[in-house]
Amino acid sequence: MTSSTDLYTQRLARIKRAVAFEKQDRVPVVPLATSFCAHHLGIPISQVAANPELLTDTMIKSFTSLGEIDGVQQPTFSAHILSMAWLSKVKLPGIELPDNVSWQVAEQELMTVADYDTVINQGYNAFFGEFQASRLDNLMPRVMPMLVFAPTAMQLWEKAGIPVIAPIMGIMPYELFCGGRTMPRFMRDMFSMPDKVQAACDAAMPDLLTGLRGAAQMLKPYGAWVGGWRSAPEFLAPKTWNRFVWPYMKKMAELLLEEGVVPIFHLDSNWERELERFLELPKHSCIISPDHATDIFKIKQVLGDHMCIMGDVPAALTALGTPAEVTAYSQKLMNEIGPEGFILSSGCDIPFNAKPENVAAMIAAVQQS
Amino acid sequence: MSQTLINAMADLEESVLVSEVNALKAQGVAPLEIIQNLQEGMNIVGKRYEEKEYYLSELIMSAEIFKEAAALIGGDLSGANAASHGTFVMGTIYGDIHDIGKNIVTTVMGCNGFNVIDLGVDVPTAEYIKAIQEHKPQVVGISCLLTTAFDGMKECIESIKAAGLRDQVKILIGGGPCDQTTADYVGADAYCKTAQDCVEYSKRLVNI
Repeated sequence: MTSSTDLYTQRLARIKRAVAFEKQDRVPVVPLATSFCAHHLGIPISQVAANPELLTDTMIKSFTSLGEIDGVQQPTFSAHILSMAWLSKVKLPGIELPDNVSWQVAEQELMTVADYDTVINQGYNAFFGEFQASRLDNLMPRVMPMLVFAPTAMQLWEKAGIPVIAPIMGIMPYELFCGGRTMPRFMRDMFSMPDKVQAACDAAMPDLLTGLRGAAQMLKPYGAWVGGWRSAPEFLAPKTWNRFVWPYMKKMAELLLEEGVVPIFHLDSNWERELERFLELPKHSCIISPDHATDIFKIKQVLGDHMCIMGDVPAALTALGTPAEVTAYSQKLMNEIGPEGFILSSGCDIPFNAKPENVAAMIAAVQQS
Repeated sequence: MSQTLINAMADLEESVLVSEVNALKAQGVAPLEIIQNLQEGMNIVGKRYEEKEYYLSELIMSAEIFKEAAALIGGDLSGANAASHGTFVMGTIYGDIHDIGKNIVTTVMGCNGFNVIDLGVDVPTAEYIKAIQEHKPQVVGISCLLTTAFDGMKECIESIKAAGLRDQVKILIGGGPCDQTTADYVGADAYCKTAQDCVEYSKRLVNI
């Protein structure tokens, strides 16, 4: 029987070979899920939403019962962390929402135009310190349990023989401000006060980069997310995207590469128009992970053998489809995009109400790759 | 007809638009006529969006400017509904509190000449049915950002059918996780990937 240490090593090697486009024994599978795992095991989501220890245990039990996975993306989770990523309040099951429904970000304008000036004059950390206290109801004490537990969570996954590939995340100023201002307001800001918005983005970067570098040096992860959701090119004219998105996204990726960490571009919505920009990053050094809104086969065409692709079994398919449909789609991905340079995964995260048999079908599909 | 106003709306020239609206008001131009000029400009915005000259950010900006102009006009806009292309009822289905996508669609539909009834978020089926009975819309939009809301959408559409109202309306769905498979599953008439898809579908439906 293979020890969990050996399994961990074998699986991580498989992921590394995918990024390096080396010959594979089979395609690796690295799913992403949190709330699904609780639903799968019949644990009320209200119990795990803000309990990273229980959720981590639930994730490990859920995934190991569904087949052999090569890794997971996050080691643990608390719904409160979404407030840091979105500068928004999060409604929790069992508190503001019914007991067994998923947590949801409350889309509200909490950040003001004056906050841009605070960022410009005092930096991101000073702004966020005040913001989280006054407008996120003193968030940090609720986030800290997850941040403190994260290294332990990684050890638990390692004991289970499963690598965690993205325990940290870089979020560019666009996404933070877009969340805090709300999308309509932020888009108007970019028209009506572009210089101020850019100055705030520039002023935020030193603190954000220092934080990302510190996390990379402390945890020494294999990879890290560089997140893009509302910054997708489908939403923005090229000149706007080139000004407010790509320079910051690229800088975060370059910092991770300096630290020996693989940037994993976690991309929601449609990024097709700007795929060629990812060629600016070194060959065989990053992972691009679309959520199914970007045509993954188009990514293959544009990025060819330049960047490993991870994805993208869609949420709707795992929620509404059948195991045969999931298997067929997974095989199509492996045949047309892999086997080298490809990691099978869900498109963004596996939804709360995905059918466990569909998730199992995705995981099992790699055995025929 | 103010070509200046139409162009300002189409080109998203906020300051030009504001001064032209004020000038037209001062000249005593009827509010309805000013609104029609703005809508003409919005038609150009929509065309540029289709041609990928404009993106969602420009759609949102156009809607924001349109709302600002409408607020400037103020006063008697009662004639505006008479020029409406039709009525559009929309909400985020129950179990889902996300409102940004819904707000973008309702705003863009409103700016494109539709009388919009916004039901808000976390909307129960009974409110959709009541709104259909009361406002007699041509189009109903149901949005969600969660796959867990699919069953709610399906139940809502089935209930609209059971209430004998299904033949009176076209039902569109949209939101992050939706696709044509979702539309088929819930029994919608179509899936709209973007706010502009919703505008174009609705305009075709009412022969514009």
